[in-house]
Amino acid sequence: MSVFVTVGSTGFDELVRAVCAPEFLQALTGRGFGRLVVQCGSSVGQFAPAPAALAASGIRAESFDYADQPQRLVEEAELVICHAGTGSILDALRSGKPVIGVVNPGLMDSHQREIAAELARGGFMAVAEPGSLAQAVADGAYAGLRPYPRADPRPLGDILDEETQR
Amino acid sequence: MHLPGPLACGAVLLAALLALRLYFVLPAFGRSVGAAARRKGKAAARGAPTKLLCVVLGSGGHTAEMVRLLQGVDFERYARRLYVVGRGDALSLNHVAAVERAQGGSHHVGLVPRSRAVGQPWLTAPVSVARCLWHVAALLYDYSPDVILCNGPGNCVVVCIAALVPRILGLKHIPIVYVESFARVHTLSLSGRLVYPLADRFIVQWPGLAQMYPRAEYIPYLV
Repeated sequence: MSVFVTVGSTGFDELVRAVCAPEFLQALTGRGFGRLVVQCGSSVGQFAPAPAALAASGIRAESFDYADQPQRLVEEAELVICHAGTGSILDALRSGKPVIGVVNPGLMDSHQREIAAELARGGFMAVAEPGSLAQAVADGAYAGLRPYPRADPRPLGDILDEETQR
Repeated sequence: MHLPGPLACGAVLLAALLALRLYFVLPAFGRSVGAAARRKGKAAARGAPTKLLCVVLGSGGHTAEMVRLLQGVDFERYARRLYVVGRGDALSLNHVAAVERAQGGSHHVGLVPRSRAVGQPWLTAPVSVARCLWHVAALLYDYSPDVILCNGPGNCVVVCIAALVPRILGLKHIPIVYVESFARVHTLSLSGRLVYPLADRFIVQWPGLAQMYPRAEYIPYLV
């Protein structure tokens, strides 16, 4: 089983460092994961798991800054861990895979936290911070989530039609 | 006693007339002519003559959401599209190219100066807003769109204000459809608050906002 970690279009140093930590790698092993794929964005320099920790966990890890086909990497994964930005969350939820959204505690923007909390309340997504991510994985916080309903923008088209029919 | 001059009288009269006109044309007061009529069934819309849709692309996440929203729009009916893009917003230009690839009809990108750059001091904002307004007004005059679709931020407020001018003058009612960002759960964005009284249709993606703003329509899972 593999887990796909994505920081989105910019960077997220704390998240990239969190997925290199020995306790996170151990949590993955504990949950039966064998492969870790990390899209780091501009935080690519932060990806440096200790070789000993990797060897101890038996995890095969790979990292890069940006992916040509991120959607394919999502499809291949059994768990998606993403930065809790709106775009990243929507992309991850659309895949139907279990998602842990990681809120950036350093960011002033409280909407990220709001939306992550709201989706977690609806049971669509698990939420963590970089510091609590390993525990969330170890606890299986991503299990038993509800699939997020498919996006349907057609009502907007109907509204435009209503407004222009004169 | 000093009687007010004819100039002052004229100005007061003009202001009163403008206020009265705004009362009748702004959707916020519920007197917008034809609003009820437009809501009657949408079946008649199919097969109607093609329309020009003006799409205002904000930037970053707003543009990404707009791309998703446009998937619900029938490009055969909106055979001409005018995209308003802030100058220097390369990401939005890429998105337009991707959306328009393999689409019929025609489209045009109107580049306008930013109404307010990030970090720009508020003191100089009126100058840049006026410059943006001028460019936007010229675009709207040239293309005369049939409807405006926007989801914030910045420039969309300017476009909505410019779109009101022909409405106030009684020349053309250009309906404004605003979709508040998916990221707004409990509070409206600044753009949302500014556009709320101007928009003919104001759509929110979380239920709490519709409770706070009676004219807002709650539609989930749009994006």
